Amino acid sequence: MKGWWHRFIRTPGELHALGVVGINMRNARFVLPNNPRRLYGLVDDKTQTKRIAAEREISIPETYGIVSNPAELRRVERLLGDRESFVIKPSRGSGGKGIMVIAEKDGEHYLKPSGARVTIEEIKHHLQNILAGLFSLGGLRDKALIEYRVKAARIMTDISFQGAPDIRVVMLHGYPLMAMLRAATRESDGRSNLHQGALGIGVDIATGRTIHAIHHGKSVELHPDLKVPLLGIQIPDWDHILDIAVTCHEMTGLGYLGVDLMVDEEKGPLMIEVNARPGLAIQMANGVGLLKRLVPVQRRAKEHPHDERRQKISFSRNTFASKSGIQPTSLP
Amino acid sequence: MASRIKLIAIVLILTLVGGGLAAYKHTQLGIPLKVGEEPAEWLVEAKVSFIATEEAVTARLSLPASAIEEKTGVDSRSTGYSFMIEDQLGEYTAVWSADKREGNEALYYRVRFPERGIVSGGPISPSGKPPEPDDPGMARSIRVAAESIVRRTKELSSNPDTLVAGIFRELNNDEPSQETSLLKDHYEELVGDRAKITLAIDLLKMSGVAARLAYGVQLDEIRGAQEPIRLLEYYDGVYWQVRDPEAPTSVLDPRQMFVWNRGGDPLLDLSGGENSQVVFTATRDMVPMDQLTDLRSSGLLVSTIFGLPASERQVFRYVVLIPIGAFVVVLLRNLIGIATLGTFMPVLLAMALLEMELKSGLLMFAIIVGAGLWCRFLLSRLNLLVVPRVAACVVIVTLLMMLLSVVSWHLGMRDGLKITLFPMIILAWTIERMSLTWEEEGKRSAILQVLGSLIVAVVAFTVMEQRQVRYLAFYFPELLLVLLAGILLLGRYTGYRLSELIRFKNFEPVD
Repeated sequence: MKGWWHRFIRTPGELHALGVVGINMRNARFVLPNNPRRLYGLVDDKTQTKRIAAEREISIPETYGIVSNPAELRRVERLLGDRESFVIKPSRGSGGKGIMVIAEKDGEHYLKPSGARVTIEEIKHHLQNILAGLFSLGGLRDKALIEYRVKAARIMTDISFQGAPDIRVVMLHGYPLMAMLRAATRESDGRSNLHQGALGIGVDIATGRTIHAIHHGKSVELHPDLKVPLLGIQIPDWDHILDIAVTCHEMTGLGYLGVDLMVDEEKGPLMIEVNARPGLAIQMANGVGLLKRLVPVQRRAKEHPHDERRQKISFSRNTFASKSGIQPTSLP
Repeated sequence: MASRIKLIAIVLILTLVGGGLAAYKHTQLGIPLKVGEEPAEWLVEAKVSFIATEEAVTARLSLPASAIEEKTGVDSRSTGYSFMIEDQLGEYTAVWSADKREGNEALYYRVRFPERGIVSGGPISPSGKPPEPDDPGMARSIRVAAESIVRRTKELSSNPDTLVAGIFRELNNDEPSQETSLLKDHYEELVGDRAKITLAIDLLKMSGVAARLAYGVQLDEIRGAQEPIRLLEYYDGVYWQVRDPEAPTSVLDPRQMFVWNRGGDPLLDLSGGENSQVVFTATRDMVPMDQLTDLRSSGLLVSTIFGLPASERQVFRYVVLIPIGAFVVVLLRNLIGIATLGTFMPVLLAMALLEMELKSGLLMFAIIVGAGLWCRFLLSRLNLLVVPRVAACVVIVTLLMMLLSVVSWHLGMRDGLKITLFPMIILAWTIERMSLTWEEEGKRSAILQVLGSLIVAVVAFTVMEQRQVRYLAFYFPELLLVLLAGILLLGRYTGYRLSELIRFKNFEPVD
């Protein structure tokens, strides 16, 4: 029963049957009741998030320095020393805005991953823009964070056109609901923002293997630029990743949250940031409506209010395991 | 669940209170719910303000005879003063008096008349015998100059009407003759900003035409409080005629100008106070007078803004529309899912459109936003920091608006681009928001959000512009409580947005 309108829309009834969650529902039923306003400060400010993460011994990228006022710009050279690679990000930025990645040092100059040259003056200018609040939520004055540049694991960089893919795990009450890998394309220009053309790759909660991928809302199996298969890839250290995600729930107190991580070649999974209002594209990447996972978790949390971290993880792994029979691809 | 019950209770209470008050006004006070077909009425309010000096106060304000004869004038809100209307051969004066007052005082007098009914500036016959011009009594030095102008204009005119036109042609000339400049300078020293009209009156008197000063009020809601406008009244041999010195050849348009005071008496005569001032406010009312009087004299809750003097009430004409715009924004954002620049930016934009007229407003918006973006690109090459860059943008935009105004004026679009302060600020702010979004989220979302804001603003404008909507919002402001209830209910809407039906169109279930 397909009407002409299906070329343009999906009816609300169909979406409801699929368990798709809309923005209004996410906000009214999950974000507002579970995430008290006062906790937002912890996750909106990355310096704070990193501080409490360090207390919980969550692995995070090492902080090289924090520039919090223009006077400190003078000691940037000393701060950088002779580090070859690092990342500069605004402490209160969101959606990957204002992040500058330096991959190499070539004599006096720094090089971006794309090979573009950057002078120390340009770095200072960027820092100044961050301090002025250009990238922060609501244009408030901000701090700039200079930290370790993650050297993404090979298996991850293989499916991304420049830029390292990151992993997002969305949770309710500490139960992992869904996970997604975001990989850059030529179009997204190294960024992992889905509406800028990045790939969203759904990950099986039970095994950490990729099961489904979308590009601009449509299913794909190959990377549009690299032409490599995207499905059946095993994310390394999956147990550790779930463990970090659930710890983030415990340390922030947020009931509904998304945790972003990257996998480093040597250091393993590193927590990058926590998001109190994770987006809805993850359901498309997984091909599963969030409501189908939110409702069982709500029920479970009510029936077993004293679940330990291990119980939560194993509940999610058992309940939400993917049934599709995609076999791991053998690496070439 | 408890919060849902609370919400429903609040929504019910709001609806009952708002709807109940409106129903009471409708059934008990007889104010129609539907805006009438009959044209609106003008309400012109004179506000006399002064600082009383601890003496007995007597204030005499000349009144429009036409209004008094039709019994449409009312004194309002002058507690502590005794009030009467003095009738002197068809010329009326309001007299307020009180013993010993101190500090800032304000007296009000209101006049109402149908939108196209009263002719306040038409010809009137003189009472008694035809008036004779008295001698203006000039000093000899300037008298010679005046006489030469009079002689010159008289030669070119055949009757008082053409004489008036001739004298004003002389006075309004961009390259005045030597005599005119001499006279003008002299009068400016003597009477300041009344120079031109006083000079014209004196010249008319010298040419044998009786003339005197009249005061008018522009029937224009947007102006707010205005100073009285000085008009010329002259005797053409049969009738007294009124002319606006800015357009001396045309008969006054009764739809644009209300002549408050004729007969040459001073507008205000005050003893016992200093720093006195008369300002007028003209507003349009859509409810007949007797019903409005009932409304004004009813309890505080019902009368609400109608208890205020017109000058203060004027503000609410637009303010009551803001909630309606906000409601439109909620609808379009939460049900349709249109992305906008800031949450209530579109409401402000719609308000700006209300002041600028839709077509020219949109044109203006397009030009200014385009130019704002272009200057953003130029500035981004200079590697400026954010705040100075936005400030520079605002400066350029302001200059551009001025340029645009001048150009459109010269192209003959006289009414087209009326730009007031408010829309200017809104547009400059839009540029700021837009360039920040451009920096933060890229060009795609910036353009989408600008278009979204524009669509929402136009929809809000279309709703706010409806006569019926404005009528209900202004005369039944309690209905805004019902609107509030609606917004609260929408706040709990957890269904899909229209945009999400499109966004998830390709959703493919796995398993």
